[in-house]
Amino acid sequence: MTDLRSVGPVVELQLAPGTGASSTREVAARAPVLGLIDTGATVTVIQEGLATRLGLNPVGVAHIDTPTSVNFECYRYLVRLVLPNEIVLETIALEAPLARQHVACLLGRDVLAHAVLVYIGYGNLFSLSV
Amino acid sequence: MTKLLEDELRTYQRHREQLLAAAEGKFVLIKDDRVVGTFDSEMDAIRQGYAVFGNVPFLVKEIVEIEVPKKIFSPLLRV
Repeated sequence: MTDLRSVGPVVELQLAPGTGASSTREVAARAPVLGLIDTGATVTVIQEGLATRLGLNPVGVAHIDTPTSVNFECYRYLVRLVLPNEIVLETIALEAPLARQHVACLLGRDVLAHAVLVYIGYGNLFSLSV
Repeated sequence: MTKLLEDELRTYQRHREQLLAAAEGKFVLIKDDRVVGTFDSEMDAIRQGYAVFGNVPFLVKEIVEIEVPKKIFSPLLRV
């Protein structure tokens, strides 16, 4: 069983281009990725390079402050997050390099704005309801 | 870093004062050197961008006097 304390609340999801950004690579783009639910992130972040894999083009730019840098500039993309049970959320994600290779996405408070997150640390359980 | 939208960002800077006067708080859609329009919501601007230009880079930007960076406190970020 995964240790929730060390790994964090990680969910399997699929990323796809947002509505209107249809892509011939959409099928490949819907391969599962792992997303870490991150209450410290104002918005969702996707791993650098993932947008190209998804066939996405930027719809804007954003500046972010992180623990180690200030005013870092990155692209913004319209993406669909396909969560378990085919629950689909559309959001505007930033693209930035992430340190953990197996986590391709940080699910930020833009996602949590539509959800209920229950974290039961002593039971090594969490649930995300949308 | 954001070379794909360099032209659009220049266009925004050129029109910034007019946009602030006319539509502060709204969202502007810009493609190349053309200000396409302003919209009440960001999603409306993006949908219009896809409808007019398709899946190509375009800029949707909130028209604000002071730009405030978004906060991402995750230690997973390598920036």
